Amino acid sequence: MKTTFKLFSLLFMLVAFVACSDDEDDTPDLAAVESSTASNIEAPQTGGQGEPVGGPFTKFSFETGAVTDSETDWDIAFRGLTILVNGGAVTGTAEEPTRNGNGGVAIETGTFTSVTSADGLAFDQDADGALAIPGGSDNGWYNYNPATFTVTPIPGKIFVVRTHDGKYAKMEILSYYKDAPSEITEEIASNDFRYYTFNYVYNPNEGETTLTTE
Amino acid sequence: MSLNKNYLRTFFLIFFCFSMKGQHMESKDSILVENLDEVVVTATRTIRQLSSLPLPVTLIPKKQLQRTGVTRLNEILNEQTGIVMTPDGTIGGGEGVQIQGISSDYVLVLIDGVPVVGRSSGNLDLSRFAIGNIKQIEVVKGPSSSLFGSEALGGVINIITEKPTSDNISGQISHRAATFNNQNSNISLNQRVNKIGYSVFADRLSTDGYDLTPQDDGQTINPFYNYTFNGRVFYDASDNLSIFGSGRYFFQEFDVPSGTSEEKDANAHLRIDHKITKKAQFEYEVYFTNYNTNEQTIDATTGDTLFENDFDQNLFRPEIRFNYNIKPQNTLTVGAGYNFENLTRSLFADKVTFDSQYAYVQYDFAPVEKLNVIVGARFDNHSEYNSQLSPKISARYQLTEYLALKGSVGSGFKAPDFRQLYLDFTNASGGGYSVFGKEVEAAGIERLQENNEIATLQVNSTELGETLDAESSIGYNLGLGFIKGKIHTDINFFRNDFKNLIDTRILASKTNGQNVFGYINRESVYTQGLELNLNYKAMENLNLSTGYQLLYAFDKDKKEAIENGEVFARDPETLQTFVLEQSDYFGLENRSRHTLNFKAFYEIPKWKANGNLRVVYRSKFGLADRNGNDLLDNFEDSFVSGYALVNLTFGKTFFKHYSLQLGVNNLLDFKGNNPLAAQDSEVLINPGIQLFTKLNIQF
Repeated sequence: MKTTFKLFSLLFMLVAFVACSDDEDDTPDLAAVESSTASNIEAPQTGGQGEPVGGPFTKFSFETGAVTDSETDWDIAFRGLTILVNGGAVTGTAEEPTRNGNGGVAIETGTFTSVTSADGLAFDQDADGALAIPGGSDNGWYNYNPATFTVTPIPGKIFVVRTHDGKYAKMEILSYYKDAPSEITEEIASNDFRYYTFNYVYNPNEGETTLTTE
Repeated sequence: MSLNKNYLRTFFLIFFCFSMKGQHMESKDSILVENLDEVVVTATRTIRQLSSLPLPVTLIPKKQLQRTGVTRLNEILNEQTGIVMTPDGTIGGGEGVQIQGISSDYVLVLIDGVPVVGRSSGNLDLSRFAIGNIKQIEVVKGPSSSLFGSEALGGVINIITEKPTSDNISGQISHRAATFNNQNSNISLNQRVNKIGYSVFADRLSTDGYDLTPQDDGQTINPFYNYTFNGRVFYDASDNLSIFGSGRYFFQEFDVPSGTSEEKDANAHLRIDHKITKKAQFEYEVYFTNYNTNEQTIDATTGDTLFENDFDQNLFRPEIRFNYNIKPQNTLTVGAGYNFENLTRSLFADKVTFDSQYAYVQYDFAPVEKLNVIVGARFDNHSEYNSQLSPKISARYQLTEYLALKGSVGSGFKAPDFRQLYLDFTNASGGGYSVFGKEVEAAGIERLQENNEIATLQVNSTELGETLDAESSIGYNLGLGFIKGKIHTDINFFRNDFKNLIDTRILASKTNGQNVFGYINRESVYTQGLELNLNYKAMENLNLSTGYQLLYAFDKDKKEAIENGEVFARDPETLQTFVLEQSDYFGLENRSRHTLNFKAFYEIPKWKANGNLRVVYRSKFGLADRNGNDLLDNFEDSFVSGYALVNLTFGKTFFKHYSLQLGVNNLLDFKGNNPLAAQDSEVLINPGIQLFTKLNIQF
């Protein structure tokens, strides 16, 4: 029994050694680029309709692929139609989280697959009175239809995000409504809003700009 | 054999000559019979026979107006080839005329040659014009700014009123009752005694309106009533001097649930024609018009004024024209005038004033036999924007006895309107967006900045207040006309290239999340297609006609963006973005690819009766971009499916002076479905079948 264990340990070490030496011969070991969909990220807001807007932002981390309460390890944050990045200066809206990273956003035009790299892009950060992803209909990320009261993401807007710790991701917002319905009925438009669904690709490797999984 | 052949040839030659001669005489006759009174004045500002003109012109004669039993200008225009009455994008919004795919903003409307004013968001409501005392309606298609200046890009609609001819008092009284409690009464009186003639017309229309949104509160068209009064005098001071004076007044009031909605339109027109010699004539014209609205929406519970839109527009225009007949078929026309315009509007900070001077010249001549050429140009100098030179050339060549080739190239322009220059509007009830005209945008932005209402400025501040240019177009028309015996047909290819169209853009985003909009010269669009008309007098008393228009209307910049792969749409299932193909671009809003009409007019003289059937079809059209790529593509849910309207009228005359009409408009009870309606509610395109009866007493 003991011998068997030893034998296995030896074998394991051997394999590990071989693997290691293999790596050193080639490129450094890269973690796989992750492709995923974040669904129903709830972004509640208080006020609006003429009242002062408020409420905490929902922070999202590409590294964990989930909503986070961390004061530091977040990349983008949502509240209603407003999207913040963890980089830049205070914009002046109420209850915004402290930006302690060096995040930014480059708004690209294309399909999700046609944006393949973050290399050479110019990244904007939030600033006093200005968002890196601008607000307003037909301006930043969404169109608002005043007849049907629906918000739809502008097609062809791909956001390349530099995360708080300098890694890269791309995202395409698919829907602002719960469960990303293909048809936004009046019922949905008036009840199930402020739920972000977006596709994203995240490259967890420091300094790597590739944004494809192939 | 060879003898046989020669014999045959001679036989055919003789036969052919005879048949040619026979047809020749016949066609001459039929032209005399059918086309003698078909003269128009709008195309050249001189009297011209319709069939001899080098331009595409539609003439709607009095007989057609009477036989169809329609009462308003919009109804009859919709039945003409290539003319479409189409709703603007908004639900319950106004209806505008479209000619060669060009929207109402770019169509000039005249009464007896002088322009009517009073547009709402660029659109002129043609249901304002009663057609009771009209001799004919002339529609010149394609740009005509070389004669008429601003707004004549898509075409010119000229309503020609009737002149008294009889010594005795003649006239008519009629009443028409229709669905929706639509009651229309009118009276007209005409007389001409020696040198003096007069004509009086009064019309009253009232209706309960109708509703296109059965599930919602309120009506789409609220009950309203209106009056039209028109008085005209004609005085021949001598053989060489004649005077014409006309006054017209229109008043309309809508019965809105809370508030007021009134509209007034008045004009005064004086013209003196002075023949200096047999060949030379001066026309002196003075025209004044006022358009006035008073709109107020009041909150039913609090009594607060929610919205106020008062509009008071004046135009005063003296003009002098000179016609000189150098020799037969060679006419020189020269004209000059001055426009004084002003507008007071509650959405403007101050009263605004426009001044413009203009002069035009036109030479209508026949350089060789069978060829008619018209060259002309007009120069407009304006106080608020760049001056415009609008040339036009058109020609008609008689290829054979029956066949003629017509072509024209002309330019058109539209001055930036008061709204695009001076609007200063913040929509308090609609969420707080703001719109500024070009002349006031710099000051407006500054004011908002001082109030800390601006979040980010989206344009370079140096761009604010740069002057707007006039919108302009070049139109090309090329066609063939064929008139032989009972058949009258023509085909016309058209292309209109527009540039500098004024569009809105976002100037800044506000701290309340809304935008500030301004105007900019940006868009370049084109419309092109063909129009086909076929008129066949099948029997002595049966006239059949059909017309078709094929239309392509696109935004050039958007086509280019698609070409560059910069336009996207969203897959309705996966919600992922994909690149739009050129073939997915449907074209401009409110344009149907195909429009078709068919008309049959039948008379039974024995019974003093007549009947007619008119069918108008338009293929599917889109109302608005709804998938966020700023153009109408095949993936939209905003298309109205193609539909046909069938109208039927019967008339019979009793005891010589009395005639009774029965009619049905929209016989198939088409209602349609407006795709812009909110989910789970229904908005109709058309209120459905409408019956009418009309009694007319002629004396």
